[in-house]
Parts: sequence; structure tokens; C-alpha cells
Amino acid sequence: MALFCITSIYKLPNMAHSFYSKRDLQFNLYELLNAEQLTQYGYYQDHDRESFEMILDAAEQISEKMLRPLLTEMDRQEPQLVDGKIRVHEGMKAIVKRFGEDGWINALFSYEEGGQQLPITVQNAAAFIFQAANYSASVFPFLTTGASNLIRTFGSKQLIDTYTPLMYSGAWQGTMALTEPDAGSSLSDISTSAEPTDEEGTYRIKGQKIYISCGDHDACENVIHLMLAKIKGGPAGTKGISLFVVPQKRLIVDANQNLIDNDVQTAGVYHKMGYKGAPIAHLMVGSNDNCLGYLVGEPHKGLNYMFQMMNEARVGVGTNAVAIGTAAYYASLQYAKERPQGRLISDKDPSKPQSLIVRHADVKRMLLFQKSIVEGALSLLLQCGLWSDLAHVAEGETKERAELLLDLLTPIAKSYPSEMCCQTTSAAVQILGGAGYTTDFPVEQFYREARIHPIHEGTTGIHGLDLLGRKIVMKNGKAVQYLMQEMYQTIVAARSVSGLENKANELEESVTTLSKTTAHLLSIAPQNTELFLADATLYLEMFGITTIAWQWLKQATVAAQALPNATAEAEQNFYQGKLMAARYFFEYELVKVQSLATRLLSHDHVTVEMQTAWF
Amino acid sequence: MKILVCITNVPDTTAKIAFIDNDTKLNKAGVQYIIGPYDDYALARAVELKEQHGGSITVLNVGEADGEQQIRKALAIGADDAIRVNCEPSDSYFVAAQIAHCAKEGSYDLILMGRESIDFNSGVVHGLVGEMLNIPSFSPVMKLDIDGNTAKFAREIEGGKEYLEASLPLVLGCQEPIAEWKIPNMRGIMTARTKPLNVVEPVAVPEAATLEKYTLPAPKGAVKMIAADDVESLIALLKSEAKVL
Repeated sequence: MALFCITSIYKLPNMAHSFYSKRDLQFNLYELLNAEQLTQYGYYQDHDRESFEMILDAAEQISEKMLRPLLTEMDRQEPQLVDGKIRVHEGMKAIVKRFGEDGWINALFSYEEGGQQLPITVQNAAAFIFQAANYSASVFPFLTTGASNLIRTFGSKQLIDTYTPLMYSGAWQGTMALTEPDAGSSLSDISTSAEPTDEEGTYRIKGQKIYISCGDHDACENVIHLMLAKIKGGPAGTKGISLFVVPQKRLIVDANQNLIDNDVQTAGVYHKMGYKGAPIAHLMVGSNDNCLGYLVGEPHKGLNYMFQMMNEARVGVGTNAVAIGTAAYYASLQYAKERPQGRLISDKDPSKPQSLIVRHADVKRMLLFQKSIVEGALSLLLQCGLWSDLAHVAEGETKERAELLLDLLTPIAKSYPSEMCCQTTSAAVQILGGAGYTTDFPVEQFYREARIHPIHEGTTGIHGLDLLGRKIVMKNGKAVQYLMQEMYQTIVAARSVSGLENKANELEESVTTLSKTTAHLLSIAPQNTELFLADATLYLEMFGITTIAWQWLKQATVAAQALPNATAEAEQNFYQGKLMAARYFFEYELVKVQSLATRLLSHDHVTVEMQTAWF
Repeated sequence: MKILVCITNVPDTTAKIAFIDNDTKLNKAGVQYIIGPYDDYALARAVELKEQHGGSITVLNVGEADGEQQIRKALAIGADDAIRVNCEPSDSYFVAAQIAHCAKEGSYDLILMGRESIDFNSGVVHGLVGEMLNIPSFSPVMKLDIDGNTAKFAREIEGGKEYLEASLPLVLGCQEPIAEWKIPNMRGIMTARTKPLNVVEPVAVPEAATLEKYTLPAPKGAVKMIAADDVESLIALLKSEAKVL
């Protein structure tokens, strides 16, 4: 007779994860999205499921070894401005170097550019792991990915050759430099100027930028800003905005290619509510008339170029929010499974031991709330990754469908998790009670870190306007038609699965309500644009809930079909968990669609009619 | 220098273990597999030695096709090629015989493996391989350097370490802190697929033992909290329940 015994006396690479679920990622990638389908396209043909898995394992190992251990330290030891330079946590140098050396920064790009042609879907899944481990630390390398992507897509060969290799290696940081003191959401009002020099494509830049993530720090040798500015004499408003590469230190043409100061001064570092490990800088640009910027692409097309990066960044912000929400969910779940407190209402016998709080219905409600939001939103975000990939490699209707669905749902993918994870992290704090309000546990940090996401990369209000004012009607509503087709396919499939018939009907009812509400609002638009868009944020919320319900119905359909064949207890628990979370979402969240519809169909326009003096 | 690194394909330590077929087989459903952690140390040190001295690393796994993901990970980390002996690794003697057979054909300078696997934990395979190849074997090795044809290494012994030197070829069973586990980079992951993997059939080995069944350890009991000043209760429980007094 043999005794089968597993030792667990040391930390192992694949040990239990307190900040995310690898199984849920696998469920999304392989059971829900069939991400392996991408390998049939030439660009991705060198990949397979094994390479996907190895990449996710590597992300997990880096997260556990380098990122997670600094989560609390980076929050406590905020970046400081010392002698005009921002100092960040000393561990960031090794992290940025690691991301560069291991090929994470340019993994998406082609082999010719030194990349690995990694599908965006898989990159997003890996980024989710990094973000769940330590959001602040994860920001540094992926900002560089976005900035270098702009240069490689729109920049000249000289710009590409000069800047991208050192950005890919992690030696140089990339940023997006948009916001100014008087131009936040309203970019048309930026005042940073660009004056042509004698050298073609080179401009003298002057102005100031605020809230620039990783705008200055000592973990990299140089910072490369992708900066918006207006060329003097150009058109007013957004049509006059151009995009420039503005390095913190510029190369001088000599034998050694030395770097000299480019007159980008750090005026301050912001002290934030959360997300404290990443430095957010206030930059003074060209104060000494000695800042050179290099035009990217054509003049006056800067905002169009920037929106390429912004749209990627917006899906990325949604993923950040879900990652933080996921880490908070698992922290509160672990606590609830270990904390005895009180007794069940049905069994109050004081002589018996106290119950673990995970058994209380109200605690289960808060856990189910978190689970249903973060897992529902994650599946939408990974779906967006798949659409990005298909938009990149597919052709014909598949490409068009992917592009339009991605475009339509980007405001949802950004805003729904951003708004809701403020609430889910609050629920995580609530589960821990007084302990959750202390710095002894990480949930208070997650709560603070979640709050930035409804603000940056376009506030929720901006995304509401984008969805209702632009996306719904673009291409004569074709994107919405595609989405409706997708949703009805899911509804039809779910109707054939035992136990999901009612859920299919409920989603259909909500889709109908959403369509009626949309038609009503569009009917107002020609007469009164202000009334049409006054409650765009609520419309965004309604659209978001319906979209996540659609994702849950897809998940429930797959789970219900897989459950009878699951032999291992852990697998049965996983699928049961999916079905219960779907049930929760429909019972507690989808029902909100009706009350939102009541508001949106109302003829009482209180927010428009309210006067400032009456506050 | 030619290095052979032997790796096991074992369930993640957090995996829930259950048996099927009248407790004669592990239920693999939903179980995540990993490279044996001690083998991972051996592989990491092999990669470092190759970086220092040049040469090649062959990774060897005695196991079924479902272990190829771990083989590919080893290739991504830095091995040059791989051999999989296509069989179920039934017992230590059988596994050692397969390794020894492959090692003879490859004429390796150094054969590294974990000090033990973490599924069956026999901890004897390195010794058996050394005996079968008629070369020295040492375990558990926690430090290793190569100087010409000599290996200089530290071995953990009861209450301390011993520092040894021995001529190559050698078989070494490794453990931490011989090296830090390596995390494969993107390029490694992508090139792993193109590196050679030879699948060979096992050599015949007389059956040393037959499996009757597996059993799991008894479940752990709940923790009982006793007030710090209640020594009498503690003693009573140590006598009546733990039965250690």
C-alpha cells in the first residue's frame, strides 16, 4: 500500500492566490471565448494554449515575487520630490527592468520590432494579474507600451529608431501628457504651444501639464512624453491639437549620443488618495524656452492619434478597476472564511461556538455582489480584448463586427467596472468591519485605489455622453444592431439549457426596455440636445447592467453545460459558483434596469431646470 | 559541459487530491500541474552554469504526454532540448532505470534533479541513478560550482553543511538555495516550441512492487483554543485527545 502525500512546506510557484483566480481566467479564455481561435490567423499562428498558459504563469510568478510584496510598502512610502526629481520606491527599478528584459513592454508588437505578436486578449489577462497584485507598480511598464505604440504607429522612422528600443527595454519611461490646469475633460482648451524651429518636424514647446502618470521618476533613465500641444497659427479647438514626442532629456548629436536636459521641469508631485506608489507629476515645459518636441505624424491630427491610445487605455482602466475589485473580493472572502462572529439567526444558542461570518446571509450577499460584479466585468473586458485582436487580424464582416462592438462597448468596459468596483471594494471593507477600516488589512487600500478609475481616462460623465451622443448612432446604429444580435444569440442558446429559461427571458425583457429607452431618448435629440443628454450617465449605467447580464448569461450557459461532466469537487464548486453568481446578478442587479428606465422615460427634467442660485 | 536535468510533473501543492478506480488512480480532473519545485531549483542552477561555462542542457521527464507542458516550460527557461520517456512513472526504481538508460546514451557531465519529487517523495532516485551509472551521487545539494572537471558543492547534513569536491560526472539531488527559480521570458516561451523534444519508449524493468491502493492522510481536526492560564485543561486534552502525555 502506498501513501499519496503532498508536501506544502514552502512557497511554491503555483500556490493559492489571494488576489485573483487563475481558474476564472482559464474559464474565460478557453471555455467562454475560445481564445485559441486566434491562432488560426497568421499573425498569431506561433502561439497555442501552452504558450498562453506559460505567459500567464510567468505573469503570476513575477507578481508574487516582485509586485505583491511591495503592495503595502508602495502605499506607505509615497513618491517624493527631492531636488527637482521624483523618487519612487527603490524596488521599482528592478520591476521596470524585469518587464523590459522579459519582453512584456513590446510583447504585442511584431517580430520585426522585437515583439512576440502576443494576442491582446492574453496580454490583457496577464496585465490583470499584475494589476491585481499591485496596481501602482503595474502602471509603469504598460504606460510605456501605450506611448511606444503611438510612436511606432504614427511616428517617422527616425522617431521610431530613436525612442522605441530604449522604451521597450524599460530604460526609458513613456507617458501620455494631456491634462493642463485649465483643460481636463475639455482638451480643446489646452494652451501648451508648439513653435516651429528651423529643423523640420522639431518644435519649441511651452506650457504646463498636470496629473501626468509616471511623468518623472528615478526608476528609469529618461521619460518620453507623448504630449498634446497646439502649433501656433493652427485651427482653434480640438482641430488644432498636434502630438509631439517630448523627452525629459534629449539626445544631442555627437559621437556619444549624450543626453541633455530638455527643459521639462517637475514642479510637483501630487499626494493622492490611493494609487500612491505611482508618481503623478506636475510638469513645467519650456520655462527656459529650451524644450524641443518632435512632431508625431501630421500637424493637427494629435487628438485622433491620441485616441488610439486612449481607447486602449480605457479598456485598460476597466481592467485595472476589476483587478483591484478582484483583489478586494479575495481578501474579504478569506477573512469571512476565517472570522467567527455571532450566530446564525436560525440557531442563536449561546453555548455553541460562534459562526464563521461567511455563513451569514448578509455577508454572503456582499460576497456575491463582489463576485458577480468583478467576474461579470472581467468577462466583458476579455471579450473586448478578443474583439481588439479580431479587429487587428480578421477581415470582412468579422473585422467590422469586432471593430464596431469594441467601439460601442468601450465606454461600458471603462465605466461599469470603474463605478462598480468603488462599491465592491466598499463591500469588502464592510465585510471586515472595524478591521477593514484599519491599515492592518489591505482592503482599505483597495477601496482608495478603486476611486481613481471613474475619473481618469475620461470621467463617467464623459463616457455617458460618448455612448449616447456618438456610439449609439454611429454608422446608423449598426454597432447596436450587432450587439443586439450577439445578445439574442445568447438568449436563444440559454433557453435550451435547463434552469436558464427564466434568465433568458429576463435578459430579453431588459434588452427590450433598453431599446425602448434608447428610442425615446433619440426622439428627444433633434428638439433639445441638452435634455437628450442630461441623464446620459444613467443611460450608461442601464446599458452597462444589461451588458454585464448578457455576459453572465453566457457564463451561466457554459457553466450549466459543463457542470454535469465535472467530476472533481473543485470543478463542481467552480461551476456552481458561476451559476449562483449569475443568479445573484439577475436577482439583485438586472432588476435596476426597470427603475433606470422609469427615470430615463420621465418627462421631469429636474437637473436641467435646476438653477445655480437654488443650491 | 553537457547537463541533464530530470524534472517531474507533479500536482500543484494546493491541488485537492482525490482518487478514483477504487483508490488506485489519482483523479486528475481540475488538477494543475507544475515542475517539481526541487527539480526547478536544479534547472535554475543548470541554466546559470550554462551561462558561466557554456555547453548544453537536456531536460528529461519520465512521464506521459500530459507532462509536456512542464517540459516546454523547462525549455522556455533555458534548456536546449528535451527527452520524454513515454510511460507512467510507476516507482523510483523504474524511473531511475529510465533516467540511467537515457544518461548512458547522452554521456552527460552532470545529472541534476530535485532532492525528491513532491508527489511520492521517495528521495532515492538520484542515488539509484548514480548506482546504475556507477558514478557518485550526492543529495541534498544546496550550493554548486564547477571548476574545470571538478564540482565544488555544499550538502545539507544534520545540524549543518558539508563542503565537498568531486570529479565529474556526478548525479546531484538539489534543493534551495542552490539557485532562484527562473521565470521564463517572452522570447524563451516563444522559442520553446521550436526546440527538439524526443519521445522515447521506456526500457523494460523488472517490476519491484505493485500498487494496491492509495489513501489520504486523516483530516486535520479543528483547532481548540485554550486560555493561556488554563494549564489544567491543556494537560487534560494532551492526555485524553492528543494522547501525547
